[in-house]
Amino acid sequence: MNSMRVTDHPILGTLENKKQVTITFDDVPYPAFEGDTIASALLASGVRTLRHQEDKGTPRGIYCNIGHCFECRVRVNGKNTVRACLTPVEGDMRIESGGEL
Amino acid sequence: MSGDQTVICRCEEITLKEIKETVERFQCSSREVKLRTRAGMGPCGGRTCRCMIDRLVEQLGGPKISNDVSLSYRPPVRPVSFGILGGEPK
Repeated sequence: MNSMRVTDHPILGTLENKKQVTITFDDVPYPAFEGDTIASALLASGVRTLRHQEDKGTPRGIYCNIGHCFECRVRVNGKNTVRACLTPVEGDMRIESGGEL
Repeated sequence: MSGDQTVICRCEEITLKEIKETVERFQCSSREVKLRTRAGMGPCGGRTCRCMIDRLVEQLGGPKISNDVSLSYRPPVRPVSFGILGGEPK
């Protein structure tokens, strides 16, 4: 899995004391670190498409990344319309992407 | 991407072409464009396309915005599930 995660950052430093957890997105497990948001954890694993537009099915992903636009809304542990860009990652979270209705 | 294929309302994926046709055919205000095409009714609450629709309606000869109510801000400001409205614990 090509990880796009920045492992050592000039300011944020390295990832040494971050606890690693696993989240599943559409039944595929992905590694994540505590303190990540769902959107950033999936992006770090190369996953950009978080859902498909309900009407025309075009792939959608992170857009505003500050919780305004709801483009990154996913279903987390059965709860709908959760903003991936704001929701911190927890251990074995089940995330499902919304698709065409 | 050719001009008319430009997406104006990202949430509902309404293109410039659809909005132009609606304004030209019905000579309608921005609120009517919203009602007819759903542009501005998406989960972002019109944040992205509200101003664009108002400007487009003005440019395409629709009624002047000043005397007509432009696209107003409608509650809820954020999408709210019926569960939460019904008192489900957050």
